[in-house]
Amino acid sequence: MSAQAPREVAERAREAAGAAQALATVTRERSLALRFARSRPTQATSVDDLTVEVAVVTDGHVGRAATNDIGPEALRRCAGAAVLAAETAARAAGAGVYPGFPEPGALRARHGHDPETARLAPERGGEALSAAFEVAAETATEASGLWTAGEVETAIATPSGPVLVDRMTDAFLKVVAVGPGGRSGYATRTAVSLRDIDSRAVTARAAGKAGGAQADRRSADHRTVPPAAAALEPVVLGPGEYNVVMEPHAVHELLWVLGLSAFNGLAHAEGRGALDGRLHTRVVSPAINLSDSPRHPSTLPRAFDSEAVAKAPLPLIEDGVAHRVVHDVRSGAIAAASSTGHAGAAGGGPSGPVPVNLVMAGGGAADEQELCAGVEHGIYVTRLWYTNIVRTAESLFTAVTRDGTFLIEDGRVTRPVADMRVTDSALGVLSRVRALGSRSVLTSDGELYGRRFASGSVCPPLRAAAVRFTGSAASG
Amino acid sequence: MRGLLQDLVDSASGRASYADARHVRTLVEEVALRNGELDLLDRREEEGIGVRVRVKGAWGFAAVRGSGRADGEDAVARALALAEAQPVAGGELALAPEPPARGSHASPCETDPFEVSLDDKLALLAEADAAMRSEPLVSVARGQLLSRCQEKTFASSEGALCEQRVTECGGGLEAVAVGVSGTQVRSYPGSHSGHIAQAGWEHVLALDLVGHAPRVAAEAAALLSAPVCPSDRTTLVLAKEQLGLQIHESVGHALELDRVLGGEASYAGTSFVPAEGIGSTRLGSELMSVTADATLPGALGTFRWDDEGVQAQCVALVRDGTLRGFLSSRESAAEVRLERSGGCMRAEGFARQPIVRMTNVSLDAGTAGTLEELIAATRRGIYMETNRSWSIDSRRLHFQFAGEAAWEIVDGRLGRMLRDPVYAGTTPRFWGGLDAVCSPSEWGLVSVTNCGKGEPGQLASVSHGSAPARFRDVLVGSG
Repeated sequence: MSAQAPREVAERAREAAGAAQALATVTRERSLALRFARSRPTQATSVDDLTVEVAVVTDGHVGRAATNDIGPEALRRCAGAAVLAAETAARAAGAGVYPGFPEPGALRARHGHDPETARLAPERGGEALSAAFEVAAETATEASGLWTAGEVETAIATPSGPVLVDRMTDAFLKVVAVGPGGRSGYATRTAVSLRDIDSRAVTARAAGKAGGAQADRRSADHRTVPPAAAALEPVVLGPGEYNVVMEPHAVHELLWVLGLSAFNGLAHAEGRGALDGRLHTRVVSPAINLSDSPRHPSTLPRAFDSEAVAKAPLPLIEDGVAHRVVHDVRSGAIAAASSTGHAGAAGGGPSGPVPVNLVMAGGGAADEQELCAGVEHGIYVTRLWYTNIVRTAESLFTAVTRDGTFLIEDGRVTRPVADMRVTDSALGVLSRVRALGSRSVLTSDGELYGRRFASGSVCPPLRAAAVRFTGSAASG
Repeated sequence: MRGLLQDLVDSASGRASYADARHVRTLVEEVALRNGELDLLDRREEEGIGVRVRVKGAWGFAAVRGSGRADGEDAVARALALAEAQPVAGGELALAPEPPARGSHASPCETDPFEVSLDDKLALLAEADAAMRSEPLVSVARGQLLSRCQEKTFASSEGALCEQRVTECGGGLEAVAVGVSGTQVRSYPGSHSGHIAQAGWEHVLALDLVGHAPRVAAEAAALLSAPVCPSDRTTLVLAKEQLGLQIHESVGHALELDRVLGGEASYAGTSFVPAEGIGSTRLGSELMSVTADATLPGALGTFRWDDEGVQAQCVALVRDGTLRGFLSSRESAAEVRLERSGGCMRAEGFARQPIVRMTNVSLDAGTAGTLEELIAATRRGIYMETNRSWSIDSRRLHFQFAGEAAWEIVDGRLGRMLRDPVYAGTTPRFWGGLDAVCSPSEWGLVSVTNCGKGEPGQLASVSHGSAPARFRDVLVGSG
């Protein structure tokens, strides 16, 4: 591949499209993913692949074609398919709304690549698994999880000539520890560099929440959720409204819901969005400040989007007031607005543009323990699982708590709670925020479907009132 | 290609106790119109080799694009290095035995969907789109078509060598109406990509998208002024599209043996079903009989061999409400001492390793006659169609589903249309309330094309067969 760098392949693909207004994108992925379960390795995947995508605009319609073959004939075939698609659409549907690919913006230097991580040495993964298994054994728990690292290089040859290149690395470790009593605990770490992934620390944190023996009782995590309390039998709570303390993992899910339902410029332009008619009004607590910040030091930074629009910070909610949604070129054209650099695909994806570098500002509480101190009776939520949007216009979602749900009594975590279903509005929950933790952390679920696109949000823990729980396996 | 794959697995055999190699070539075309504008016109080709090896019980899998010898050798080297870098797995359990797969297979296809012109596809969608937008309250009309062809060659160190070619296509419609009461959606023939089948273009024509477009739009508009589905514990009749997803989420996933054994604890989750529960664990009423059939014609989970060379089978999962089997692989089958793998290992393309996936998990038809007869035999309840939202816990026990539309059942007749219907429950109790399933004349397939599992993530496609069915004492409401 060294003789066929993504930049060169992107230029050749663009040339293969001839005179058409074409954008050619090459995305090369090299990655490792090591899975483990019950303190044993289970699956391990090494990927070395790339995608060449050619997007062509004809009379306001975008046709796309992709291949992973970089030979001259394959690139000609790919470009030809994109041209044919765009021309056929123009013939069939008349003039379309797509105004053409924008001129690429000026890119800013960023911090998102670590050469050591990009080496992708399998031994690093093996060492991380060994460390996780050691801690699991020390705490009488079993560790399941994922260690993964990757390097993704993206080159976009733009219609006007410039070729933009971005290289990023990402590393992720997730551990679900299961204690002898069947309690489970969850912890993750996401970073640009493998240096920042401490397998022992992540596993110890998960083990503590699972009630693991010998878990380090001095750590801040274990002061909030004492392992001895975590090891108790779970209590079953009935449906109702509860005060909650949410860890960043759970807050991350709320932000994911808002990305799709509220900040999605296509849904907004079509009148389906949760901020329809609500921009420039207070939609959440005044304590909430939320932006899309692709250069924030804690995030997984990106230089440009899939239409070569430069990434830039974008305030979305300030002091609880919603200010804008995000756009790609197509949703911008529908809404008479400019792209904000949020295209997930050249020409726009069917589900619309979403923010991928959300950053929520922290507040005044030192940590989760201090957030719990303000709760007389409530629920501590480590993470939400299987989150799905029920009604977009209301940002109404449903999800289930998992791997660390606890009862808060008189300001402290006292015992596990059987997992419960939450069905509430994401905007509604954020409108009932009573306090925010001071430390925002990069949080990701590590889900990497298709071509690797690592992302996460930077968010603090929070305390919110009257969150609606609608049932559980135990309560029916 | 056959020779190369054999050479690759032979070269790994010195260091690995087992090796297999797959060469996969995939071609996908997606076409969608949204309000008369092109929403998506995408054609994707990919080709590569995936090599999987097992060293001292640890698996290593490496994928490389292309089909050259050097590419394949690179994949073998990386797979071995990855397997050897992992902590020793604590002894190696022999895989469940399987005779080597030999031969070739192609799915039936009358008209190759890639031979149908883009002009014809866009014309079909444009006609359906216009029909939906003739309803003034429809804000978004969307129609989509999918065509997919995948060719695979598989070889293993145990002597397997086989080839398969599968063609799939289908499509669907969606109308979104926006009014003062909110947003409502109706889909045909199902939400989440419509109905995709292992078939040729003839399947798309049989869907009659244009013919159904006016009804879809009219129902979306009517939902805007429909009353909200009332909250109650009541009788629920599910149409087969929603029932298919109910089977998928609460039965299919719950019976994946890797989950049952804890192998997916960190992502997809575990299962409430115990590994030792065959023959004793009650999952539902006497009317609940479920099979996993990888030989079902036209279904997306159909093949001749799975992605570790196990021949397609029809496995009984639930008989008369009692657990009878699991969805398994050679490794997981060996772990619980099953005689043979259930043949459920599938991978998304060449760059992912095979994992336990559903084959076509279906509910047997019953004797309740037609849907009309089932409604007529129901004094009071709710009839619900088409999935809108879904969520289930990590043990596949507590779920909540939302439908696009519901109708009240009053004295054996469908009454008012109801909007925003949801229902929730726990799996064994819900299936324990099954008291009627329509007859074989109502039985049919629905498709699920977005089933996510694995790390890195994989999307799988599968079909589910069912006939409309009635469940007693279900918590229904709005959301």
